[in-house]
Amino acid sequence: MPGNIRSVSVVLVGLLCLVFCSQPTSLDAAPLCTNAEAGCHVLSLANLFDRVIQHSARMHSISNDLHSEFELYFLPSKNQIGRVSRNCHTSNILTPNGKENAQRMAREELTEVILKLLVAWRDPLWHFHQSMTHFHDFIDFSSNKSLKMSDMVHELRKGVQKVVEKMQMLGILSNSVSSLMSPEAFLAPGSAEWRLMKDYELLYCFRRDSNKVQNYLKILKCRIVPEDGC
Amino acid sequence: MACARMVKHLRLPLLLLLLALAAECNSMSPPEKPDKLGCRSPDKETFFCWWTPGSDGGLPTVHHLYYKTEGQENMRQCPDYHKAGSNSCFFSKTSIWVEYTVIVEASNALGNTSSDPLTFDLMNIVKPFAPENVTVVVNIEDSPHLTIQWHTPSNIDTKSGWVTLKNQLRVKPDKSKIWKNYASETQTHFTIYSIDLGVVYMVEVRCAIDNSWSEWSNTTFVKVPNFSRKDNSFWILVFSLCLIPLLAAMIILILKRKTVKKYILPPVPSPKIRGVDVQLLKSGQSEDVINAMLLNQRFPVMIPWKDQKEDYLIVSDKETSYLPLEKKKIFILPLAMALDSEVQSKETSEVDHFPKDSESSSEESSDKTESSQLLTKCSSANVLNDEKANRLKGVTEKIFQPFGIGGYVDIPRHEHMQEADYSRVNEVNGDNILIMKKENIPHTLDTQGQEGSVPDNYSMVKEVNSDNVVFLEKHSESVNASFKAKGYIDWVNQKPKNLHMTGHSEMGVCPQLVGCEYVDTVPPPAVI
Repeated sequence: MPGNIRSVSVVLVGLLCLVFCSQPTSLDAAPLCTNAEAGCHVLSLANLFDRVIQHSARMHSISNDLHSEFELYFLPSKNQIGRVSRNCHTSNILTPNGKENAQRMAREELTEVILKLLVAWRDPLWHFHQSMTHFHDFIDFSSNKSLKMSDMVHELRKGVQKVVEKMQMLGILSNSVSSLMSPEAFLAPGSAEWRLMKDYELLYCFRRDSNKVQNYLKILKCRIVPEDGC
Repeated sequence: MACARMVKHLRLPLLLLLLALAAECNSMSPPEKPDKLGCRSPDKETFFCWWTPGSDGGLPTVHHLYYKTEGQENMRQCPDYHKAGSNSCFFSKTSIWVEYTVIVEASNALGNTSSDPLTFDLMNIVKPFAPENVTVVVNIEDSPHLTIQWHTPSNIDTKSGWVTLKNQLRVKPDKSKIWKNYASETQTHFTIYSIDLGVVYMVEVRCAIDNSWSEWSNTTFVKVPNFSRKDNSFWILVFSLCLIPLLAAMIILILKRKTVKKYILPPVPSPKIRGVDVQLLKSGQSEDVINAMLLNQRFPVMIPWKDQKEDYLIVSDKETSYLPLEKKKIFILPLAMALDSEVQSKETSEVDHFPKDSESSSEESSDKTESSQLLTKCSSANVLNDEKANRLKGVTEKIFQPFGIGGYVDIPRHEHMQEADYSRVNEVNGDNILIMKKENIPHTLDTQGQEGSVPDNYSMVKEVNSDNVVFLEKHSESVNASFKAKGYIDWVNQKPKNLHMTGHSEMGVCPQLVGCEYVDTVPPPAVI
């Protein structure tokens, strides 16, 4: 009997240890902390990058789906010249158009481009979603996607800001980016052009821009923290 | 005049000729429009386009591809018509996230024909090639599994993060119709454990860039062997080695099954009566049963107790027959029963032999038994004990009455006997012989149940000669004597007959004992 009691108590102690000792590791999964509060476990930069990259990939796939559905129901013919005005409201943002160009660009510039893109799409997507709810021809489940899309842009921007802060903290990034953090800086006159865009064009442009964001983030990650996956 | 007339006449055939020539020329035409334009980027950095040319119109036709990107006004020509094969154009320097417009123009001597333009963005035409060098290795040593390895298509840049590849493979048994898909994210190797032995498997691999999947690779066939040869021979050897001793043990057991049976199940001893044949009993003849129970039974021989004490017989006189009887007890007992509780018997083989006047072959106590027998048998005679008789050892008071009617004399264990009761032993001849004194008292022991009376048919022991001879005195008194003598004589006469009749063994003890009634153990003659 004393042997049994002893073994049971050892097991209990072990379980208690597991429960309490596992808590520090569980903090790794906690949401991103602002200003590195006390008791908050800071994620590593690679993990942060992975998170935002996954997020952007999800965002792009949703936009791709929406665009395909829209094209299917409203614009059956393809290969039309002049079909799209190709006048995205983000055309004035200079974005590298290839791998070499993106690699040649400085980290700060690339980061700025990403942020600019994300900021530029927050309002248009929200309005797009609003217009879709009124548009009864649109399929119901697509309206969920438009809502999700606008949310994701917002979340992704915050995530990228966290990454930038971390990089600045680590000294990887210079502090020149911080001046561009506030959304108001991106509101330039002429940014209201998006109101003139038709819905389809908006979807087309956003699909492209979300792909840009995803690729830029990947390039940035493999340049700054070249771990597995690169 | 004649010339003009000739021209007039020639005009019509010339016209006809021209028409004919014109008709021939109409089979040649400008080329048809090239069709089925397609473009593909295997690595998100380069791309190539292809087309299907139409009929060439009978004239040698060349095709040109012209492209332009969005924002440009002028069409530019294809930089490389050869790298991607015939009727194709390869673009090595590209821009992504820009719209391309591509047109193919076929031209021959008679004209040009352009195809429909194709607009695309590079990010939309990304489709990698299938993986290369797919190798499948079967391993059945520990547990059967397939190890599949492949290479990513060449020229794909994953290091810079520009391209992220996903892999997928599918496996199915040869006979089945259903593929089983497995996802391998960025690894270029995979292990499948759930395979069956003796089945041919087909394996295919494909990869994807940004959710755009390639074609499946060429099928790789692999056969999973049925068993591991090494294991099999080893187990066969072990099995056969274990089998041989088992077989040997079985054979031995079978051959010696009776011994084994005796060992495992020892026979339970069942009660047996010596000399009784159970089978005979079972056969159920009652006479045999009676014979078995009664006649064949050998009663244990009572061996005289080997006491240091010497006991001797007391034979009472005629005159002294009125003496207190405490020393005499006369019994008539049934067959072969011990007289007294004081009788102690030894259950030995000699005891067994005793009632029969046993053989001289009875070894150990033969002397003693002889003596006892001698004495008892001659108890009717005037056998008197003396103190000398004390020397007789091993004589007990045990008196046996052999078969037949007889009387017993109880011999009390008194060492000191009164002389009056006894006849004197004159001489002891040998170990066991008492030679009685001649006395005038012709009395014999009455063993017939009468106290003190001397039966008529008894006579005194006159002399004992040799080991087994006792001579009786003649009575000359009365008719009794004569009778006695007669009886005696008769008896004597009879004796040898009886003696002879009874055979061997009984004679050994007392062959020439005369006058003793108890010589025989056979049913006594009705002498008395």
